[in-house]
Amino acid sequence: MRGLLTGYGRGLTLFFFLAVALWGLVLIILPQLTMLERALTAPKRALDSSVAAALARDARTCISVLDAYAAPVAQGQGSSGGMAVPSASGMAVPSASAMAVPSASAMAVPSASGMAVPSLSGMGPGGEGRKAARPYVLQCDRATTHSQLVRGEGEDQAFLDTAYGLPLLAVPDSAPIAAQKRTAAEIAELAQVLYLDLREREASANPYTLGNFGWLVAARAIPLSPGQKVIEDAKLSKRLMGLAGLRFERDGETYERIGLITLSRTLLFAVMATGLALILCYPMAYKVALATPPERALWLFLGLVIPYAIVELMRVYAWTTIIDSQGLINGLLSWAGLIDEPLQLKRSPATVFVVIVYTYVLFMVFPIYNVMSTLDRNQIEAARDLGASPWRVHARIIIPHAKPGIAVGTIATFMLAAGAFSVPRIISRGLQAEWFSQTIYNKFFESENSNVGAAYSFSYTLVCFVIVGLFMWAMRTRLRDFARVQ
Amino acid sequence: MRGKDVRLSGVSITYPNGFTAVQPTDLHIGAGEFFSILGPSGCGKTTILRAVSGFIEPSRGQVLIGGEDMAGSGPNARPTALIFQNLALFPLMPVWENVAFGLEARGVSRRARRDRAQELLELVALGDQAGKTPGELSGGQRQRVAIARALAVEPAVLLLDEPLSALDLKLRQHMRAELRAIQRKTGVTFIYITHDQGEALTMSDRIAVMNAGVIEQVGTGDEVYSDPATAFAASFVGETNHFEGRIESAAPGLATIATAHGRFRARNPGALAAGAAAMLFVRPEALRLGAAENRLAGRLTRRDLEGPFLNLFFQAGGQEVALHMTNDGRASGVTAGEDTELGFDAEQAVVLPAGELAHTGKEMAAQ
Repeated sequence: MRGLLTGYGRGLTLFFFLAVALWGLVLIILPQLTMLERALTAPKRALDSSVAAALARDARTCISVLDAYAAPVAQGQGSSGGMAVPSASGMAVPSASAMAVPSASAMAVPSASGMAVPSLSGMGPGGEGRKAARPYVLQCDRATTHSQLVRGEGEDQAFLDTAYGLPLLAVPDSAPIAAQKRTAAEIAELAQVLYLDLREREASANPYTLGNFGWLVAARAIPLSPGQKVIEDAKLSKRLMGLAGLRFERDGETYERIGLITLSRTLLFAVMATGLALILCYPMAYKVALATPPERALWLFLGLVIPYAIVELMRVYAWTTIIDSQGLINGLLSWAGLIDEPLQLKRSPATVFVVIVYTYVLFMVFPIYNVMSTLDRNQIEAARDLGASPWRVHARIIIPHAKPGIAVGTIATFMLAAGAFSVPRIISRGLQAEWFSQTIYNKFFESENSNVGAAYSFSYTLVCFVIVGLFMWAMRTRLRDFARVQ
Repeated sequence: MRGKDVRLSGVSITYPNGFTAVQPTDLHIGAGEFFSILGPSGCGKTTILRAVSGFIEPSRGQVLIGGEDMAGSGPNARPTALIFQNLALFPLMPVWENVAFGLEARGVSRRARRDRAQELLELVALGDQAGKTPGELSGGQRQRVAIARALAVEPAVLLLDEPLSALDLKLRQHMRAELRAIQRKTGVTFIYITHDQGEALTMSDRIAVMNAGVIEQVGTGDEVYSDPATAFAASFVGETNHFEGRIESAAPGLATIATAHGRFRARNPGALAAGAAAMLFVRPEALRLGAAENRLAGRLTRRDLEGPFLNLFFQAGGQEVALHMTNDGRASGVTAGEDTELGFDAEQAVVLPAGELAHTGKEMAAQ
């Protein structure tokens, strides 16, 4: 402190401390705190009050749709047969069935879209016996006090009418329009009152819950035909999942913990990509830093840098032209007569893997190069002179010296690979299972369930943190070694 | 440990960029000898060392160690060990692992390595420092660790590349004696590279004086100092005064040389013939105040007192002449600006063929 004051003066010292505080606060503490807060809060639309509010809204929309419908009928123009378009506000709570993954692939993640699937009873065979007084209207169908409430895994199903003592009311499509409107108005009134009441109660209750994290470990039933099931069960990956508790059977149904599967799969890929990057970069860094005369090393160095002067997205897009069915690789292979059918490279996880390595390899090579170039070459010669084989020189002299660089490069590459978003998205184009970063994105923005997204994101941060910590422990890299890198 | 002899036969070394660092050289270093190669920086002495240790292959000629041709065997396969100028200790290993590294590379068990390292550390008086890292040791201790590490592989030839140059004066003087003692104790052939003539003269059995890729003279310290073979050897080893001139007459053993300062008689080891361009060298301590067989006039310009010694500098015919004497009070009569007569005996001066001289301190400072 005194040294800083005498060295830089009061103004600069103050600035220095402010910058450090700001750095810690803005870059480290605040974002994680807000993320944690959000992750611990129940999604607003999962609250009972939101269900009540949605019901009130649906009922009111139903009335206005019926109003609009009644007018043409009175003019004798007949039904256009159109289905009312659900208003954007009319998001219903996903019913339990919407959670089931339709795809047989275990890698697929449920879209968990908030759109309610219209129940078949509204227009299907169930309605055939009665004469409907109007075409199907989604909001009227949903305007029932028997709306399901959102409950977590393992909890009993609950409904608005039974939970809060409302009369069981629904808008019957066979009743006269006026009667329907009356019922809907009644429902709207009940729901609105309940909503105001619930909102008050919820505001005074403890808002924090671990429910969002439950989504991550939740198991989903995988619909499989018996034939498919035999094939799926035989797969090594599925058996491993079974061993890890990520896949199990209950009552003849197969369940998979989709969130955890995506998470562990992404981490496994990231670890492998990091390992491959390390294997590639260590010799490169060694070549440039220690095995080349300095005047020639410059050219090698430039060769490493220039590809990275191209925007990351452009590099990734360039890969799409390489891996396309009519792309470079398939073109070359078929020209050489090695293949008849183009390889579906964009469907192969290996492609994503390779492009990830390519994209982030630089973050591995430079830290290692930087540290390695500080090694006194005499130490290498001394070790050689004392009779050490090249392997031993690496194991005993170069790697221990380069360890901080290896650690920094590995951590940087791992974090970038684990958080990669554009590469899996652009390369796989949705033809492959998601990376966890995509899952988080989808939770945040596509299912509008940012609280669950926050829980996913926070869990992911923690898991990566633990992995990095374990790695550093395994490397015996003390934190102060990092200061040596630059 | 038993030393082996080293023979360079017709060795010349040219770098890929075309620079010839070592001109064709023949050199024989006896088994168990403490041999120094003395020369200014850039003279090619380190290149010779690297050729012996195997880091570079000679462009021409052979390196033989113990009579065996070393062509094609790398530094790890030669019976040599090199001590680097910066020592190149392994900073991340404890001292004992540094010492035992060569044994580790030879597959010696950990326990045996530990014991051997301890023995060697005792030899260099560092028995209690085995667990420290090199960074925790002093300069002199690190030096001794480097020696122990090199001795651990039981080399027949130990190559030392100016290992004392980073130490301060007192320590350097102490380490000279210690190195010499270790060499005697082990009997290993030492090839010692230095630009410091004091080191070379105090430690070596024999010295090679080297300049611009050429070995100018090989001999004992006394020979090199008292009987320099070339103008460079005379001017590089020790301080000297030189006068350029031409041989006037040459009698057996002695010659008369005519210079701008007059006519002098001096030894003529190279049997220079009359008329040859020559240089006369006389050491400052061979000069004395007052007349002698050879005499010249000078004016005192500077008087440096070094306690027991006195260094006087005279201006004589546009040239600086140095005179060293013991401080016995005789010089008190000479004062700056006074013309004085200086003299030296013919036996204590030598005429050599005119040639390149070593840079003086003044010239080096100007570079």
